[in-house]
Amino acid sequence: MPDAARRGLERPVARAASIVVLAGYALWLAATTPFSSPANILTAIAIVAVVTMATIRWPAHPTRMMIAEAERPRHPYLGWVVLAGLIVAWELVMYLVRGSRSAHPTLSSMADAFDRYDDGLKAVACFAWLWLGTAIVRAGTQATTRAADRGAVPS
Amino acid sequence: MSSSPSYAVWALIGACAVALWIASRTVAGRRVVVRPAAVLRRLATDPWLRVPLVLGWAWVGWHLFAR
Repeated sequence: MPDAARRGLERPVARAASIVVLAGYALWLAATTPFSSPANILTAIAIVAVVTMATIRWPAHPTRMMIAEAERPRHPYLGWVVLAGLIVAWELVMYLVRGSRSAHPTLSSMADAFDRYDDGLKAVACFAWLWLGTAIVRAGTQATTRAADRGAVPS
Repeated sequence: MSSSPSYAVWALIGACAVALWIASRTVAGRRVVVRPAAVLRRLATDPWLRVPLVLGWAWVGWHLFAR
């Protein structure tokens, strides 16, 4: 079987396997209680794993991946920067304003309520966090051909 | 004091995030905003921004699930 065809088969299998592993780990992490040793250890293991993978896979001197000129909007990141600014600003307002936390919810207090409500919802949040960690590692890996497929070019 | 205005603003911000995400996946919207994956790739391949990106991700997990 040609290499390209073999890689084409391996990629979905590897992706499915990683989703199963992440889902299992998320269920395990969601079953722990915050402020307990198991919660600290499982969260720390995930953080150490992502930092280790990033250290191994990321180049010491990366080439910034930009969007190809032909596809680039005038201000490609502006919408997301404005959104992040809005979130930070409102989070600060909620955090600093006087009054009860229930009247002025922060992202953390909403997440705590979300986690307390149901272990299943907490598992979804854990999975999303773990998945984002793997996405960050993949994004920083200089797979130029994969990025180029999506219209990215080195700056 | 009622919490409704606070939640309403959070809901509005959430709706903006969803709208941006949907826009980034349409042909017309892509002329205005890039997909989240492109933002992540830009941050993760920047020699300076990739450090706060990983630290921020780690902090969020620690803050939400451990502490």
